[in-house]
Amino acid sequence: GAGGGNDIQWCFSQVKGAVDDDVAEADIISTVEFNHSGELLATGDKGGRVVIFQQEQENKTQSHSRGEYNVYSTFQSHEPEFDYLKSLEIEEKINKIRWLPQKNAAQFLLSTNDKTIKLWKISERDKRPEGYNLKEEDGRYRDPTTVTTLRVPVFRPMDLMVEASPRRIFANAHTYHINSISINSDYETYLSADDLRINLWHLEITDRSFNIVDIKPANMEELTEVITAAEFHPNSCSTFVYSSSKGTIRLCDMRASALCDRHSKLFEEPEDPSNRSFFSEIISSISDVKFSHSGRYMMTRDYLSVKIWDLNMENRPVETYQVHEYLRSKLCSLYENDCIFDKFECCWNGSDRQVEFFSLIVMTGSYNNFFRMFDRNSKRDVTLEASRENNKPRTVLKPRKVCASGKRKKDEISVDSLDFNKKILHTAWHPKENIIAVATTNNLYIFQDKMN
Amino acid sequence: MLGKGGKRKFDEHEDGLEGKVVSPTDGPSKVSYTLQRQTIFNISLMKLYNHRPLTEPSLQKTVLINNMLRRIQEELKQEGSLRPMFVGASQPADPLSDNFREAQPAFSHLASPPLLPADFVSTMPLESCLTPASLLEDDTFCTSPAVQHDGPTKPPPPALQAVKDSFSSALDEIEELCPAPTSAEAVAAETAAHDSKAQPSESNIHKPEGLPESRTAESKLMDPLPGNFEITASTGFLTDLTLDDILFADIDTSMYDFDPCTSATGAASKMAPVSADELLKTLAPYSSQPVTPNQPFKMDLTELDHIMEVLVGS
Repeated sequence: GAGGGNDIQWCFSQVKGAVDDDVAEADIISTVEFNHSGELLATGDKGGRVVIFQQEQENKTQSHSRGEYNVYSTFQSHEPEFDYLKSLEIEEKINKIRWLPQKNAAQFLLSTNDKTIKLWKISERDKRPEGYNLKEEDGRYRDPTTVTTLRVPVFRPMDLMVEASPRRIFANAHTYHINSISINSDYETYLSADDLRINLWHLEITDRSFNIVDIKPANMEELTEVITAAEFHPNSCSTFVYSSSKGTIRLCDMRASALCDRHSKLFEEPEDPSNRSFFSEIISSISDVKFSHSGRYMMTRDYLSVKIWDLNMENRPVETYQVHEYLRSKLCSLYENDCIFDKFECCWNGSDRQVEFFSLIVMTGSYNNFFRMFDRNSKRDVTLEASRENNKPRTVLKPRKVCASGKRKKDEISVDSLDFNKKILHTAWHPKENIIAVATTNNLYIFQDKMN
Repeated sequence: MLGKGGKRKFDEHEDGLEGKVVSPTDGPSKVSYTLQRQTIFNISLMKLYNHRPLTEPSLQKTVLINNMLRRIQEELKQEGSLRPMFVGASQPADPLSDNFREAQPAFSHLASPPLLPADFVSTMPLESCLTPASLLEDDTFCTSPAVQHDGPTKPPPPALQAVKDSFSSALDEIEELCPAPTSAEAVAAETAAHDSKAQPSESNIHKPEGLPESRTAESKLMDPLPGNFEITASTGFLTDLTLDDILFADIDTSMYDFDPCTSATGAASKMAPVSADELLKTLAPYSSQPVTPNQPFKMDLTELDHIMEVLVGS
């Protein structure tokens, strides 16, 4: 239940998506991202679509809840393609969405599939010009002989229309599958990372990108490690990190050399010999890396844990949080059914109004539609469930507990009863408020803290 | 799926299988360690070759599975070579980390050897300019130079040779599961078919290094396709064998029985621990005469049907 006064009590707010259990493959959510103000929430799915939700402006009469999120725009970002050379399909699945900070009335986001990144402009149209001289309202040309006077077209209100248009297409720069995109703090450049390379782009230039990391060996038979995630530092525009399948994180400075194959720092925790197994390498593979708001720390997610690193200390993390340690004895089965390769993401809390720029809470997903939160200050953690059964607004979510072994208490769930098909890989935290978006396979849940 | 009733039995027994990692030197638990290792090895092979996805398989997954297979091969090799000195050797020197990493110097030393086509390198030094990503798309530099580069730029440490051997020994282990004549015929047919594509390896019968070489030759021809996942296609463990050769050859069911603890009594009598000596013996497919089938494993047709059902259904 609720701990001290600082613990957040999460309540169900909304759920988006189909109700039936039969999940259409194309509806599987593959990425979730709030924009910089938190007003917009974007999701990408396996069918290449992007759906953007917009938060209603706060209703003064309903002071006990924040605005709801409603569909704002839906568009097809990527289409499936066929690589004729390799006789293989290129999936249209959206791997990542990243918002640009808003500069004018329009919103911009980058979305990427395995091969191509696109810059989308989302703009509103709520007026249209009427009163053309040569055209009727429906577009047909007027008979010139009927034109007897000149008039100036005027803008008249119309129903709000939200349009998404692709403004840039950044293609043909990745031989391998893109896993990350990250916008630089200069807001002019961004990086894209695939399994073996990281490229630097300018947002205005689509026909050229520059390779800044290349770990492809001359002989592919020698390949034993791949890049799994990459991110720019939030403040230092020449610094970025990338993680690997061997559990290492490398911090690179682009000022040091054009090709950043030599890292400035290498973060790696020595292996715990008591925990060694056949699967040690696989579970050490990092699936996500996120800088803290200040940039002093970064967080990594591997299969069983979340680790917080101080950028000034390379030889071990400063904190480690176990997400689902009870799976350690099940690794062989999880290897067999491929679950061990699931890529869980992690995220920080937003900048709380009271404690600006402090990254205090970590959120990440697990199986059985569970997700976990770790409070760095109190060292308390909680397991919550995203399920339609708890869908009464303002009902506080009940903490869940998994029973690893021995006698199962009431309300606990045994490890063997967990549904490994129900995985929460993607979660996002509103940048300013305590609102979280949690994606199950094909549903998006929105939870808010209980406001009193 | 894990968690549903059907799998419960497996999970219960599995606790004994993977609850704790047992040291390979313990007496009775050495068998279960070997069983566990063998199971994981088989699962890994199945993963690499069992499905034909329409889209490219994940390189990360492929690399991790390959690493798993190589690690097990290394262990088997070291166990095989340590056999005569079993008492003194105790635990092989940490096959899971240092040896394994030493074998792959390429990753950490990429800064030194030039990765770009020779003409680009000659015009300006690597360090002083950004590389347009478009140049990286032309992956031809990793074709024929690849084999020669191993010599001058990176003298391979002894461990690297062990890795190359691991491919041949992994292949051999597969061979051991199949009766030699059948696979020899199959391989002869495959080799004949591949003659136009790869250099025949009959001259390298007795050198394990010969196998990776012919494989590299084949990978050379596949490399011009940008981004071809050479790992799964050509550098995998089964270049000249198809999955059919394994499936339809005589195999002991106990290898594919994912319930090793219940069948331990039956399996133990049938299975011999795989040793490097036996692996080397079964370089048979590349020799002209059929080797006396080393066949501790026999299987009924009904069991074969059952396995096919399981594999196709999974």
